[in-house]
Amino acid sequence: MDARNVGIVYRKELTDILRDRRTIISSILLPILLFPLLILGIGALATVVVRKATRESPTVMLKGEEHAPDLARRLRENKRLEVVAFRDDYVQQINDKKLRAVVEFPISFETNVREKPAEPQTIKIFHYEGELRSQAVLRWLEAAVKDYSESVVTQRLTAARVPTEVLNAFAVEKMNVASAEKVTGNILGMILPYFIIILCLTGAMVPAIDLTAGEKERGTIETILASPIGRGDLVLGKFLLVLLVSIVTTALSVLSFAGTVLIGGELLAKIQKSFVLAVSGKSIAVVFFMVVPLAATFSALLLAISLIARSYREAQSYLGPLIFIAILPGMASMLPGVELNPGLALVPVLNVSLVAKEIFAGQYHWNLIGLIFLSTCVWAALALYVAVRQFHREEVLFRM
Amino acid sequence: MIEAQSLTKIFKDKKRGEIRAVDNVSFKAQPGQIYGLLGANGAGKTTTLRMLATILKPTSGTAKVVGHDIVDDPELVRSSVGFLSTATALYGRLTAQEFVEYFGRLHGMDNATMKARIDEIFKRLDMDEFRDRRCEKLSTGEKQKVSIARTLVHDPPVMIFDEPTIGLDVMTARTIVQFIRECRAQGKTVIFSTHVMSEVEKLCDTIGIIHNGKLLAEGTLAQFGERYGQQDMEEIFVKVVGE
Repeated sequence: MDARNVGIVYRKELTDILRDRRTIISSILLPILLFPLLILGIGALATVVVRKATRESPTVMLKGEEHAPDLARRLRENKRLEVVAFRDDYVQQINDKKLRAVVEFPISFETNVREKPAEPQTIKIFHYEGELRSQAVLRWLEAAVKDYSESVVTQRLTAARVPTEVLNAFAVEKMNVASAEKVTGNILGMILPYFIIILCLTGAMVPAIDLTAGEKERGTIETILASPIGRGDLVLGKFLLVLLVSIVTTALSVLSFAGTVLIGGELLAKIQKSFVLAVSGKSIAVVFFMVVPLAATFSALLLAISLIARSYREAQSYLGPLIFIAILPGMASMLPGVELNPGLALVPVLNVSLVAKEIFAGQYHWNLIGLIFLSTCVWAALALYVAVRQFHREEVLFRM
Repeated sequence: MIEAQSLTKIFKDKKRGEIRAVDNVSFKAQPGQIYGLLGANGAGKTTTLRMLATILKPTSGTAKVVGHDIVDDPELVRSSVGFLSTATALYGRLTAQEFVEYFGRLHGMDNATMKARIDEIFKRLDMDEFRDRRCEKLSTGEKQKVSIARTLVHDPPVMIFDEPTIGLDVMTARTIVQFIRECRAQGKTVIFSTHVMSEVEKLCDTIGIIHNGKLLAEGTLAQFGERYGQQDMEEIFVKVVGE
């Protein structure tokens, strides 16, 4: 290995790639813009949905209203609902989503409730299973009906001179022990490692293709192979550049995420109160440190695979499946019950996303962190070995 | 000086089995002379030259390029060779000067020597006007000049040209032919492959006719003329291959 030659290749590829629009877009612009756009997009969408939902209150009909004047009055006074005049085609209207629900009272409902407590009465609520708004209306109606039911029970108990407290044998109070960081960690720990891994891969993808299949497509592979540089040095120079781009992409996306959180945090808090964002600088730094050998693994692997292709497009079609392979462990880490253990610490990609999940939740198992870092380094070395081998294979370099 | 000794290259093809692209080829090319490899498409010219330039490894046999063995010292061989073919393209996003500098550095040249050398070559080939233009924006002729500058930057004693004029217009092809002559005049060992008979007649001191991977005949144009009672290279070629 000749460090000078590796450096020459690295610098040349850097100059080259910085003039490539595809790389600039995919590795610099995209990671900077992704999170702000994503969060702004979600925010804007949520605002629109909420506004729309508050503007038009859902409509309901009451069937047999004359049998329940008291409850009907309560429902009409409910500001969330708009009670419209009853029509016979209500089932069709619910199906057409023009109407959200219908409450049907049996004959002499309130009279019977008052005078015949031994004969339980049944109210029917017609709704559209699986339709979000109909389900929301159903919940509100159930709550209103339950209120009414409780007032009736209270009246009965008062009449019988029984204290209402007998209804509750005991109370339950829920106590949250997770810190704000941990609550956030659970949400962030699921989404963020996933994004970081994908960006780390996609950021390296464009330069990896450009530096291998791109050379073949443009016919420069023979030019460079005829120069005195050793093939190992050539691979190393290319590898270091792809690694740099991958790390820059990841760093930019993490910074952009942090910026978005700082600026857009309030916006998010408005949408969902539980979404308190508290990520420590330490957790970001440690996760970033863990991602570096993963980026190295991806970079070497991408070079090794895309060198097989004869053209940019062919390389893209080979690398497409790789994204899925990388996403799968990321998804697996989101599953409940998949917890980090020494065995999983050796599984590439999955180990990093699991440890990132823990780190964002404020848990630092340094033994496992060290093990994962080392095992990822071993994977990276293996991938690099494969890449160097590929550059020595004539049937790969000059594939017809 | 190039000395090929029983160069053989076998490719394995899934459908066609083993292909002997180059089969036991031996020849010598002397300094100050042009050795021409003449053959049809697929005869084994490109594979032979790629082995000499150490881009491909021979299956068996070897060659000495200015004393360096192509199997044992491929990096030394590449340092002594300027390799040019129509397949050796340019890095489109680099400027003409950056491109030539890149190869100068890879040849281990220090900055001062390289700058002086590049200035000299660019002046000689009349390239100063487009030295800071990106290679992708250059015309075919200008691109060829940049390629020539690349092969010359380290002043190699051996030049290998693989069908350098294929697909070029008349004027650009003339530039290349002129360049090959200059290389000979400077005492370099020149080897070049072509399937164009007229180029062989015009340029070559020694001609090797290659067919199906085998070197069938070798000699000067005069020797071929005597042997086959013909002065026309095309007729000679047909006779040699038909035998």
